[in-house]
Amino acid sequence: MPIQPFSNIPLAEILRESNALVSAGLIEEWSLGGALAAIYYVEPFATYDADIFFIPSDKGLTAGLPAIYVHLQSQGWQVERENLLCHGFPVQFLAASGLTEEAVREAEDIEFEGEPAKVFRAEHIVAIAASVGRQKDRARIEQFLQQADLDKTKLEEILQRYKVKLPIL
Amino acid sequence: MKLEMRQKLAREPFEEKIRKVGQLIRLTKAFPRRASWLATAKKPIATGMGKKL
Repeated sequence: MPIQPFSNIPLAEILRESNALVSAGLIEEWSLGGALAAIYYVEPFATYDADIFFIPSDKGLTAGLPAIYVHLQSQGWQVERENLLCHGFPVQFLAASGLTEEAVREAEDIEFEGEPAKVFRAEHIVAIAASVGRQKDRARIEQFLQQADLDKTKLEEILQRYKVKLPIL
Repeated sequence: MKLEMRQKLAREPFEEKIRKVGQLIRLTKAFPRRASWLATAKKPIATGMGKKL
């Protein structure tokens, strides 16, 4: 079947199926991360995928990803190379560890179009961007400093605990 | 775009911002040459067109 390009970002369905993965016992917890989580706090910008960070139920090397793929394909999602596609929109499922695992566990509870969901807190997004350190991560940090209500004390505590420094902008 | 305008956009409801992201993606696909030029900008453009962050 040819893959249809999406007309709108099917975020509600992505969140619903992520919740279904918890109900099915395939993952323990999850949160929206990456660019779409950043957009929760700052002005909208173009991005071409959704990042779902999860804490796996299966602690093995594959983090249960094969079962996650099978489950989502049974719900009509498609696979193109390594990408899962929800109505043509790429979605990455990323096993969380360290800083990202903490970001999942402490994520903010939200509702999106009536669907309960979790999104990384702003302080974790900045700390993760600082730890990755690419040019686009530096741009994201600058955006957050200008536009988001950051808890500077919490951010400093996270940065110290993970031995990460904010870049000089 | 002025900082005040960007801060105002940042405070919009998440659902509205996601709808705008969809529009931006459609624009970058409809006008790839312009999007390519925007993607070379050093900092995020107010609309974010063509730049994945």
